[in-house]
Amino acid sequence: MSNEHTVKSYEEELRYLIDSVIKMGSLTESQMVDSMDAVIKVDKDSIDKIIKSDEEINKFRSKIDTQIMTLLVKRAPMAIDLRETISSLKISQDLERIGDLSKSNAKKVKPLPLDLPEELLGNLKRLGDLVIKQLNDVLDSYVNKNYDKAKEVWEKDEQVDDLTYIAMESVIDFLSKDKKNLDFSTHLIFATKNLERAGDHITNIAETICFLIKGEYLKGSRPKGKVIQQ
Amino acid sequence: MELMNSVKIKSKNLNVFYGEKQALFDVNLDLNEKEVTALIGPSGCGKSTFIRCLNRMNDVIDICKVTGNIEIDGIEINDKNLDVVSLRERVGMVFQKPNPFPKSIYDNISYGPKIHGKGETKSELDEIVESSLRKAALWEEVKDRLDEPGTGLSGGQQQRLCIARAISVNPEVILMDEPCSALDPIATAKIEELIDELKKTYTIVIVTHSMAQAVRVSQKTGFFHLGKLIEVGKTEKIFKNPDNKMTQDYITGRFG
Repeated sequence: MSNEHTVKSYEEELRYLIDSVIKMGSLTESQMVDSMDAVIKVDKDSIDKIIKSDEEINKFRSKIDTQIMTLLVKRAPMAIDLRETISSLKISQDLERIGDLSKSNAKKVKPLPLDLPEELLGNLKRLGDLVIKQLNDVLDSYVNKNYDKAKEVWEKDEQVDDLTYIAMESVIDFLSKDKKNLDFSTHLIFATKNLERAGDHITNIAETICFLIKGEYLKGSRPKGKVIQQ
Repeated sequence: MELMNSVKIKSKNLNVFYGEKQALFDVNLDLNEKEVTALIGPSGCGKSTFIRCLNRMNDVIDICKVTGNIEIDGIEINDKNLDVVSLRERVGMVFQKPNPFPKSIYDNISYGPKIHGKGETKSELDEIVESSLRKAALWEEVKDRLDEPGTGLSGGQQQRLCIARAISVNPEVILMDEPCSALDPIATAKIEELIDELKKTYTIVIVTHSMAQAVRVSQKTGFFHLGKLIEVGKTEKIFKNPDNKMTQDYITGRFG
């Protein structure tokens, strides 16, 4: 913001709200990194810690809701302040969902065997790395109010779709070799799908940021990559 | 494409001077028929000066000079030969502070029609008084005490009485200069509800310091600053995503 509100406490309340969203975002990002790490390393010891961190994310969500309600009642925000307030609400909702998906993936580590072949996890890791990068970039665009970067994230979801397709195929291939793999392969398929869904929430955040900055929604439909028939 | 109402009032290159001091600078503003236009801006920005031009209230100030054009239905109102009394019949005004005449409720309403030669018989006047009070949503509250003084009503009722008085001469335009600034939230809500109803019949221009009120009652908003019309547009656009940074700074409370 180029210049500040005449009422300093209003300025502080808005700043506090934005800070909460940034903190929630960074917590969500660490949780996703940890969750991905747990899946790739089949690290069963870290599951509880990841579940615990989801509780923290949820607490942020309620805190942000309260902050927004207070702002709406006290300040009746207008224009950029209104968009900032509404965007915080929307972004925190998407972050909470991303947190749920990371938690869900962490839980899927439990039934996985420790000796998973590397080629099976390779594509999943590539997908996870891309989704983490997307989350990082979208949060960065939020912090710096960078329209172009948010739009780039939105466009790049196509790559998430493509990698999801590849990761799914490799799990299905592995499954088709031996039906005994059915149980944990199903978990890996769900984990892959969860990453793709997290990618969708990230594109929602990117759309919200574009709306926040310019006051209008991105036009046209987002580029789509390959999708597995469901 | 969204349909816009036709233009009722058009100001072109309107300049107003109070002696040496220029109060309005080249204001070009179209006001649509049967719509509410809100004018916002800091104190002294020219919004009240602007609406006072629309019924030539500025004529009563000796040092005031107006240049440029204001057309109502395509007719220039700054024409020296124009009958100002009939202009004010067409363009009524409601002020910040309710200002009923020190007369009965009935007389407050019937005075205007009488001097404008409307309502020649008692029954015609009775009809005008009742319909004006009904349109101003005051009839039910005062119908049994029409002979009581208008000044004995509550602030909100007095303001609705003033609106009824403005309506009684069957105007086309109603100018409202901060009509709710002296009223409590309930009385304000009643006036706003009334404005919503009145816009079906009249073209309304309201000056307000309340952003929320501008959003609630108007379809179009103009932002004035230091005598200049900075931005005008659909109310929704002005308050969600204005084009001008100065507008944004003002409505978000960042004016320094």
